[in-house]
Amino acid sequence: MGPKRKIKSGHVGADSTRVDAPDKVRGRAVYTDDIDVPGCWYGKVVRSPVAHGRLRSLKRDEEFDWSRVSVVLPDDIPGKNIADLFIHDMPFIAHDEINYLGEPLALVAAPDRELAEEAARHFHPDIEELPGIFHMEEIVDLYKKQDSSLHSLGEQTTVKGDIEKGFSEADMIVTGEYWAGYQEQLYIEPQAMIAEMTDDGGVFIRGSLQCPYFINPELCLTLNLPPEKIRVKQEMTGGAFGGKEEYPTLIAGYCALLAMKSRHPVKIVFDRNEDILFTTKRHPSWGRLKTGLKKDGTITAIHAELLLNGGAYTTISRVVLARGILHAAMGYRCDNVFVDGRIFKTHTFPCGAFRGFGAPQATWAFESHIEELAKACGMLPQEFRRKNCLVQGDVTPTGMVLKDSVGSPAVLDQVLDRSDFAKKLKQSSRGNPKHKKWYGIGLAFFAHGSGFTGDGEARFKAKGAVELDWIEPNHPGVNIRISSTEMGQGAFTIMDQIAADAISIPLDDVRCPLPDTSLCPNSGPTVASRTTMVVGHTVHGAGLKLKAALEEFASKEVFEGRPVVLENGRFVCSGEALPFRQIAASYLDKHGRLRTEHQFTLPPDLKWDQSTFKGDAYPAFSWGCNAAEVEVDPLTFEIRLKKVTACFDVGRMINPLNCKAQAEGGLVQTIGYALMEKMGIRNGKYDADRMQTYIVPTMPDIPEFDITFVEYPYEFSPPGAKGIGEMPMDGLAPAIANAIENATGLRCNRIPIMPEDLFTLHRAKHQNG
Amino acid sequence: MSNVKRTWNVNGEEKTLEFPPLRRLLDVIREDMRFTGCKEGCGEGECGACTVLLDGVPVTSCLVAAGQVPDGTQILTVEGLEKTEQGRVLQEAYVSAGASQCGFCIPGMLMASFALLSKNSRPTEEDILDAHGGNICRCTGYVKIIEAVRLAAQNWPRK
Ligand code: FES
Ligand code: FES
Repeated sequence: MGPKRKIKSGHVGADSTRVDAPDKVRGRAVYTDDIDVPGCWYGKVVRSPVAHGRLRSLKRDEEFDWSRVSVVLPDDIPGKNIADLFIHDMPFIAHDEINYLGEPLALVAAPDRELAEEAARHFHPDIEELPGIFHMEEIVDLYKKQDSSLHSLGEQTTVKGDIEKGFSEADMIVTGEYWAGYQEQLYIEPQAMIAEMTDDGGVFIRGSLQCPYFINPELCLTLNLPPEKIRVKQEMTGGAFGGKEEYPTLIAGYCALLAMKSRHPVKIVFDRNEDILFTTKRHPSWGRLKTGLKKDGTITAIHAELLLNGGAYTTISRVVLARGILHAAMGYRCDNVFVDGRIFKTHTFPCGAFRGFGAPQATWAFESHIEELAKACGMLPQEFRRKNCLVQGDVTPTGMVLKDSVGSPAVLDQVLDRSDFAKKLKQSSRGNPKHKKWYGIGLAFFAHGSGFTGDGEARFKAKGAVELDWIEPNHPGVNIRISSTEMGQGAFTIMDQIAADAISIPLDDVRCPLPDTSLCPNSGPTVASRTTMVVGHTVHGAGLKLKAALEEFASKEVFEGRPVVLENGRFVCSGEALPFRQIAASYLDKHGRLRTEHQFTLPPDLKWDQSTFKGDAYPAFSWGCNAAEVEVDPLTFEIRLKKVTACFDVGRMINPLNCKAQAEGGLVQTIGYALMEKMGIRNGKYDADRMQTYIVPTMPDIPEFDITFVEYPYEFSPPGAKGIGEMPMDGLAPAIANAIENATGLRCNRIPIMPEDLFTLHRAKHQNG
Repeated sequence: MSNVKRTWNVNGEEKTLEFPPLRRLLDVIREDMRFTGCKEGCGEGECGACTVLLDGVPVTSCLVAAGQVPDGTQILTVEGLEKTEQGRVLQEAYVSAGASQCGFCIPGMLMASFALLSKNSRPTEEDILDAHGGNICRCTGYVKIIEAVRLAAQNWPRK
């Protein structure tokens, strides 16, 4: 008994409720910390108390009974003391230079948590402290002075046309600088991992994670194990948002090293404070834009710079930067574009993946700037966007021709219409002292690339499989085998829909188990808004192959060679029909399991040059538009977000209910990014390091939503979906800032926007004039 | 400090346990009784994932010393919901509204909803916001959770 899923007829395009929901509402879903592993020890990381320095020695109290615990020091690492995260610049355990507060100095495991924590307190590092660099402001200051002491962790440029010529054709030039702060993923389930040794001398790692095939092979180097000896399984994951993308390799490594040393299974579950302090954040950013305009609003040149605070080591930052610069001037027509992105080192925990992955920072800067451009040439914000937005046939800043699946200007028109934008813009207060509450509406329009950058998907060759097997006793059905993870976004539900649709069987005959590297092909990481489009396509293709194989079997074995079609769960042959389960069972009895696989490809004419960053930047773009309506109190400057009107083109919607859920969740995270989630650094440490001080939206903070979709399917890759996961994170922050400007007359160039910032701007404005 | 002994009614069944009096109720529920549906998201009373009902009143179990909970207290965790018709109505509503994503906040959220609807099965918008203001969800944006509570209110079994 218990709650049942409601399944409407048809699969793809239907509002199927979520496959994982019944267990979750009954408290039966098993997350990592819920697993009772016999003989499990607890691991703890001994961390540096200083942010930058040189480790002279690591002493241990002699009176403590060390025989009861296991300790891992750099010399105990079986392989290389390197965290194999993209670039080899980070040690797994620090042994010389310390580069961020909390950098691991040792690992310890004990039979219970209290003892592990106690043991960790008996280490005494002797560190020569060195001065550090921490803040985006310091970076920007040095960057503007072209100071060579800045430590670059990566840079990338993309150029289109002739930027000088573009500026020379302009009637006016508009410049602006836009800052964005840290953002913490704040998944509600903290990082959690378990590792244990296997009989063959390998390790079995399982936990809360996004990308099983990151941990394997990344740990091979550190553990000195071949990939076949590292098995990684995802357990039910309580949210991730990028925070469990590259980071889990570290916590998995800590557990694995401790398991190998102690010969016990080892579990580490962070408490919230440790999770906030010592895991990744969204990169703080600074964008500077300089744009040439003609009087009629034509854009002649865009010069964009995007700087990211990378933290202490490179890790995934270059990939984030790539997405950042590809969105830094995206969405509008312009023949002359120069985009330059850079990552600089600071002595803080390495920044990393967070939903949107560089695009929210880029879009925040660019869509704030677009508002200034409209003003500069005396156009309304919607007119300026309508005139310049890219449409089908236009060319992006990297030279990609938008051939098909272009939801622009449809998303823009839809939002302008549904929000009654033109009328409401006229009603905006603009700081009118006669208004009791200041009202304003603001707009943002944007695109988000689906899948890996450029020809990344073509090179990666993601694979997905389906297999006919007994999915329960006496129940033949289909397992979906992909390395994509379910972390709350609904991936397994839509994979079920896609597979059931391709094979033409009921949803109940399909299941998508949590991925395990010993059972699943590599479909790639669950990132980059790629899962539905790319992995969904492999499941679709594998499903068609399975269907064909079963039809052939049925034809040969049952219907004397006549053509057979598997349709809505029945094998149909000239008027006769047999149920899917019957034929499936006889196939399994005769041949055993049947597995089919499919690989993702890209159109052969897709061109990308990784060295110049030119060409087709993504297989496809999703499109979005947001209008935000705010109310600001002229006395307290309290900001209340009243309504958000949003429209997205995510290609073909596999599950509209789930698309909406993704949009709502992402938009609310963006409310936090824009208005609430403030995090600074004091003495090398994040100053908002608990849920008491890092404030995220709660139920009373949410506005009224009007969320709609327009469908421009990605035809090359049936069933035609594009990405949705990240895009809701891109545009709402600038839409809110633009709305605040229309309400107050004050331009905020820094998020999060706090009442005190408005007060400061208000005073500055009135003091100066 | 020596252990204390308590007898409670947990999810409809009588249970007697011994534990150090300052042990967190959350740990007694998760580790001693193995009701692992109850979740820890922060350990400091901020996220609401560990919410359980003590005699119908929602509390964050990470901030309760188990020894303080008197004998005879009725404790309800997410695992107990499906034993009552109201609980099942609420669970159905969460599933059909699409209110659960990663699911980690959901046990606490459900307990907040259940406490509200048990007392007030015709809640206003404001009642709903008040009742769930202490529960953080990072996935859903709350929209579908509000819809689920409304749907459950519509179908709430009334005597
Ligand atoms: S774990 Fe108790 S409120 Fe967060
Ligand atoms: S569903 Fe993930 S935190 Fe609420």
